[in-house]
Amino acid sequence: MIHTDYVLDAKGLACPMPIVKTRKAMKDLQTGEVLEVQATDKGSTADLQAWAKSSGHLYLGTDAEGETLRHYLKKDGLSEVEETIEIPEISLSSFQELLKESSLTILDVREEQEFRDAHIPGALHIPLGDVETRAQELPKNETIYLICHSGRRSAIAGNILAKAGYENLYNIVPGMRDYNGKTTSL
Amino acid sequence: MTRKTAIIAANGGLFDAYKVFNIATAAAATDHAVQIFFTFEGLNLIHKQGNQQLKMPAGKEHFAEGFAKANVPSIPELIEMAQDLGVKFIGCQMTMDVMGLEKEHFVDGIEVGGAVTFLDFAQDADVTLTF
Repeated sequence: MIHTDYVLDAKGLACPMPIVKTRKAMKDLQTGEVLEVQATDKGSTADLQAWAKSSGHLYLGTDAEGETLRHYLKKDGLSEVEETIEIPEISLSSFQELLKESSLTILDVREEQEFRDAHIPGALHIPLGDVETRAQELPKNETIYLICHSGRRSAIAGNILAKAGYENLYNIVPGMRDYNGKTTSL
Repeated sequence: MTRKTAIIAANGGLFDAYKVFNIATAAAATDHAVQIFFTFEGLNLIHKQGNQQLKMPAGKEHFAEGFAKANVPSIPELIEMAQDLGVKFIGCQMTMDVMGLEKEHFVDGIEVGGAVTFLDFAQDADVTLTF
């Protein structure tokens, strides 16, 4: 379920009306807000994707419900994606070597159940979806090692934390999938 | 840098009108600067009375039902929308002279110019179309 700030009803309208209406509606949104466009024009999915791309907005996806298509667009979201900050990576083997010698601040961003099943002892846990809102729980002056199952979610978390001002971040690649050190469960 | 779409409208039927104005409004809604050069029969599309009664191609009249069913906007509506979005209409001076038409015969807000007026805009356009 995607949170929406504004809903535009463009049902029953033919091309190019859904685009024209979307453009008008988007003007009233603030940067980062999400517009839901309801349309029945079958061409609107491809049209809105193309429109978003060339207008600097981020196309988040489409839900189909009967005849109605619900398109989600994030205002000015494209620049956000382009400004992705990639954090440095550390290989799982190097990380495991370091872990033998010292205690490290580790943030596990997998889902609740994955974390419960097995995680590195002492690892902090914030599921990826909550990283943005709970970032302040993390120590700012320590190096934080981010881990997930493969390294993909932790890369996204790293991007979020880097934007929130965290500087000493490492993404562990791959993640728990190939980890063979000590684990604990809840 | 604003992208530019340059369109030549040289035909005067209802289908031609939809091709021209749909592309033009879609481009303008995507923040393109759009100019349409109306020449010869294309002038029909912006003629005050003419644009209200554009004809379907012979033998295609049955599409009228499809237009109504698909809830396609009328040509006068599309013209108004295009102008609201900043699409610039240029009537071809030479054709107007030949046909004895004046600026007043056309929808408000058009400009009248020669081929060079349009070429000046089209020379560095990102999209150039002829209908």
